Amino acid sequence: MRKAWLKWTILGAPALIAAGCATYPDQPTTRQIAEKMVSEGFSAPMPALLKRLVQDKSQQICSRIGDAKLTQEEATEVVKLARESIKYPASGKLVGDWKRGDQLAHDGAGDRIQFGRLEKRKENGGLCQNCHALAPGEINVGNVGPSLTGYGLQRGNSEAIAKLTYERIYNAWAYSPCSNMPRLGATGHLTPEQVTHMVAYLIDPASPINQR
Amino acid sequence: MRRTREGIAAAAIACVAFCGTALAQSKADDGLAVGRQMLAEDNPGELWIDQGKKLFYEKRGPKNASLEQCDFGLGPGKLEGASAQLPRYFPDTDKVQDLESRLLTCMVQLQGFKREDIVKTAISPAGSRGSDVEALAIYITSRSNGMTMNVRLAHPKEREMYKAGEYLFHRRSGQTDFACVTCHGEPDKRIRLQDLVHMTDKKQIQEVVSTWPAYRGAHYVVRTMQWRLYDCFWQMRLPELEYASDVSIALTTYLHYQGNGAVIRVPGFKR
Repeated sequence: MRKAWLKWTILGAPALIAAGCATYPDQPTTRQIAEKMVSEGFSAPMPALLKRLVQDKSQQICSRIGDAKLTQEEATEVVKLARESIKYPASGKLVGDWKRGDQLAHDGAGDRIQFGRLEKRKENGGLCQNCHALAPGEINVGNVGPSLTGYGLQRGNSEAIAKLTYERIYNAWAYSPCSNMPRLGATGHLTPEQVTHMVAYLIDPASPINQR
Repeated sequence: MRRTREGIAAAAIACVAFCGTALAQSKADDGLAVGRQMLAEDNPGELWIDQGKKLFYEKRGPKNASLEQCDFGLGPGKLEGASAQLPRYFPDTDKVQDLESRLLTCMVQLQGFKREDIVKTAISPAGSRGSDVEALAIYITSRSNGMTMNVRLAHPKEREMYKAGEYLFHRRSGQTDFACVTCHGEPDKRIRLQDLVHMTDKKQIQEVVSTWPAYRGAHYVVRTMQWRLYDCFWQMRLPELEYASDVSIALTTYLHYQGNGAVIRVPGFKR
């Protein structure tokens, strides 16, 4: 009896150590280690730019590892924060100039940091082309997001659609919490006026997006 | 020599670009594969391997020493299979290091170079003759050609690096809300016409980890994993990833471990 106990202790100890190693470090420890790395691992021409690395509440909730699912409470929180973030243009007009929207949709530049310099342009590009199919027949488009070809043809250009479209571009997480779509207006990448031009590009019947 | 190199590269890019557009909306990588295949037998990156070999054995730096005593984990000067097991924990520095950060340690300790001087020029301008670190990294990796990637997580610090890398891979931040996984977590995705590697897919991650450093056609130079990560953060609108920082080593540990089992074959060729 006593011997058996001894035997299992001797055999069990390495197994326990191995199990301990397999789970080390746990989530809070990992987070602490990794966040320290982030605070030490980047440089910027202006210290204020380092703030880009700091996560807001929604980004923290949306950074899930592997198959971890968003809980109902988390989704509700992200939607609430997103709704609160949406600002409308001073003019109150949500539909701008589709031609300017067309240019913005095909512009992927602005605000990048390289070799100690910030890429400063008159305005940031809208980045749409990187991830979405746009006008019919356009070849150089990505597929990370859904196709936007015929967006207005399918939905029309009512006031309600204009508002929905504006809000989805300004902060997509108000409707699809934690989706891949950047919160273009809410994070400050685009101005409210720029968003109105993108709305026009998507819903104006004259826009290339809505040609057959 | 230089003209030949650029000529080969230009031809390759022309082919890759043409094949890419021809495939339009469908998956673009079949056309690109043709271009890569054409280069497989005549990759300009081979010239960097020769240069790296020369630099490795040459007596250089304030201490007038070669890198022959550098220990990449298998003992001083043992290069065969060394990069297949990187990143790993090194007792002398008490750190987990990838190939490039270990190379920095040796260039500082053995040859007497200043760390900040090497780091400043480690990533070379496009169209240049490349940096010493780029040439050395591809030469050292080439000595593991044909060997199997086998990164181990035995030391607690290796596990810390791996778990931190996994965390960072999924960490969203900045004005684009991007994490690595935003673009690299699903199959058959593209940014414009460029195929995105699906990094949580075993086969695709193996293809990645076994082909860096690589000759980058559009830049006319050899690029390393440190550059690859730096460039991703640039596109994400985040601050500049510091060369050989722990963030870079954590991500490399995560990716290399996922890629275990891949057979190393450098120089790779990238568009």
